[in-house]
Amino acid sequence: MYRIRFHGRGGQGMKTASRILGSALFAEGFEVQDAPRYGAERRGAPIFAYVRADRRPINERGIIRRPDLVVVADDTLIPVPAAGVLAGLDAYSVLLIHSHESADTWRRRLNTPARVLVLPLIEESADRADLPYVGAVCAGAAACLLGVISEDALATALRDELGPLGEAVVQRNLDKALAAYRQMVEVCGVVTEGREANAADYTPPEWISLAFEGANVSAPVIHAGLTSSAVKTGLWRTLRPVIDYDRCGRCWWVCSSLCPDGAIQVEEGRPTIDYDHCKGCLVCVAVCPPHAIEAQPERTAESLETPK
Amino acid sequence: MSDVETRFHRFKDLPSTQLLGTGTPMCAGCGGLQALHEIYDVLGEKTVFVNAAGCMTLLSVYPFTPFRGSWLYTAMASAPAGAQGVRDALDILLEQERMPPEEDLRVVVLTGDGAAYGMGLSATSGAIERGLDFLYIVYDNEGYGNTGQQYSGATPHAARTATSRMGGGFRGDKKDLFDIWVAHRPAYAATVIGAEPLDLARKVERAMAIKGPKLILALAPCPTGWDFDPKLTVDIGRLAVRTGIWPLKEYVDGRVVHSKTPHPRKPVKEYLSLQGRFAHLFEPQRNAAELTRMQAKVDEYWADPAT
Ligand SMILES: Cc1ncc(C[n+]2csc(CCOP(=O)(O)OP(=O)(O)O)c2C)c(N)n1
Ligand code: SF4
Ligand code: SF4
Ligand code: SF4
Ligand SMILES: [Mg+2]
Repeated sequence: MYRIRFHGRGGQGMKTASRILGSALFAEGFEVQDAPRYGAERRGAPIFAYVRADRRPINERGIIRRPDLVVVADDTLIPVPAAGVLAGLDAYSVLLIHSHESADTWRRRLNTPARVLVLPLIEESADRADLPYVGAVCAGAAACLLGVISEDALATALRDELGPLGEAVVQRNLDKALAAYRQMVEVCGVVTEGREANAADYTPPEWISLAFEGANVSAPVIHAGLTSSAVKTGLWRTLRPVIDYDRCGRCWWVCSSLCPDGAIQVEEGRPTIDYDHCKGCLVCVAVCPPHAIEAQPERTAESLETPK
Repeated sequence: MSDVETRFHRFKDLPSTQLLGTGTPMCAGCGGLQALHEIYDVLGEKTVFVNAAGCMTLLSVYPFTPFRGSWLYTAMASAPAGAQGVRDALDILLEQERMPPEEDLRVVVLTGDGAAYGMGLSATSGAIERGLDFLYIVYDNEGYGNTGQQYSGATPHAARTATSRMGGGFRGDKKDLFDIWVAHRPAYAATVIGAEPLDLARKVERAMAIKGPKLILALAPCPTGWDFDPKLTVDIGRLAVRTGIWPLKEYVDGRVVHSKTPHPRKPVKEYLSLQGRFAHLFEPQRNAAELTRMQAKVDEYWADPAT
């Protein structure tokens, strides 16, 4: 059975990628499962989608823990623990990264047993939640790596999935998908089918037994307020708003009221952006009267930060 | 509303507290979340939220919550019934002196339009009829957002949704929930929008001072469902008001009063053209007839607004 996991950000079309690949495998006579993982499917947030394909009926369900192929649409997700990009990779897996850096660089960086391949990033976009065609590109490259999907099957699947968006959109996506497919011909078929899951391989989770207590004793957090701030939604951000305090007119009621997430705190009239939680919607940039807030690509902003 | 005593005279009077927690799973640029955090800053923390299924259900997914107090999840149609139960429980505790009066809480329904304009109407009508003392907050993103933006009773004419994807978009018309509430003679009803925080704060403040069933109906620009760049949430919200598409008004003491009368009104196409769900009105060909009809509808409303 082939087990394929797609990683991207909300808005990059990972669900579409999984559906195109799934339909292509189906057209080639496979039994197929394809599904996005249900969660916060929000623009910029880490998104997962899964494809399983086998010539025999598939009895496995749920998330893919031991993938044969992992496709990463956005390399900025790799260091994000919540994205779990590297989870379950072994020496039999292939990791395909859509990146402007080389495969050697990623091999050195990641030190993973998996075979690392790079799909060169053709178009860079300042806003990475908006990489055009990335879903189609990833599906095209993955189709070639599996070695069991013809260009025709890929094209039919893409038409099936994107048809309602109109011929112009289909054609642009198809061109990109086929180009990505052809870029991978040298490594066509490198992905191998993983073993059948076997009950004997099952390792039970390491349970910790706790004595029974009232919830307010054992888990007081159940009754606590404001726990959502433990979730760092700043990871969704692909563009970062930066306040130029020389230009800021201290009209905090504008940016702090209008920030949908309440991520702008005010102290003595001075606004501060909470980067742990700012999702990068850029509403503040749009509404700031003296244009004192600038949007910087997150990658650039991070590299300018002085290490703590 | 100038004759009302308010603590919100100028923008500077708006709270800078941020009572609602960060880290919620709402989309970046969510107009509903924007309205909610502004409302919560005025309401304060002594509230119980009763949440009908929708996007905002994801706010409180154990163990995370952005609220400072309690939150109850109900099925889509039953939030007002849930609110009745909570209010009754609080009243019993008060009556039996098992809870001091200063610990009393406000009961607040938080619901999407799918529930408020459709499935939840019967329960809402019953609650208003019984004179339930509650605040009913609707964030109206004009569709079933959480399940992928299918059309709802609040979807406007010509908007494309997941269930009206082709051709001219949704063929029906948006229901008027404000008028449906007003027909019940509630204690209070108002329309608001997060992009106008001062108007919103005054109305929430006003609602808090009145006992009985009260509606706060917020138009909630939704980048995901309406298909626009999230940074435009406020621009689109302001245009909804300035084009006259979203009249800001309130019903109090048996009268409807507009709190803002856009003058001059901007053409509705300025609002529509920023949203992907209306793009088919402009591309590949401009649908002049439909645009004229949509403008005429708004003009007709303002020719005789119910003041
Ligand atoms: C009775 C019932 N039917 C269907 C659902 C599935 N469901 C969950 S959220 C949702 C959409 C609700 O739309 P709306 O009230 O507008 O809220 P939004 O998602 O837009 O925030 C639906 C249909 C449900 N929870 N209960
Ligand atoms: S809106 Fe702009 S100028 Fe005003 S306080 Fe915020 S950052 Fe400063
Ligand atoms: S980009 Fe600005 S408005 Fe958006 S979440 Fe961040 S601070 Fe708030
Ligand atoms: S779908 Fe719309 S209403 Fe729902 S969280 Fe996203 S932006 Fe908000
Ligand atoms: Mg809705």
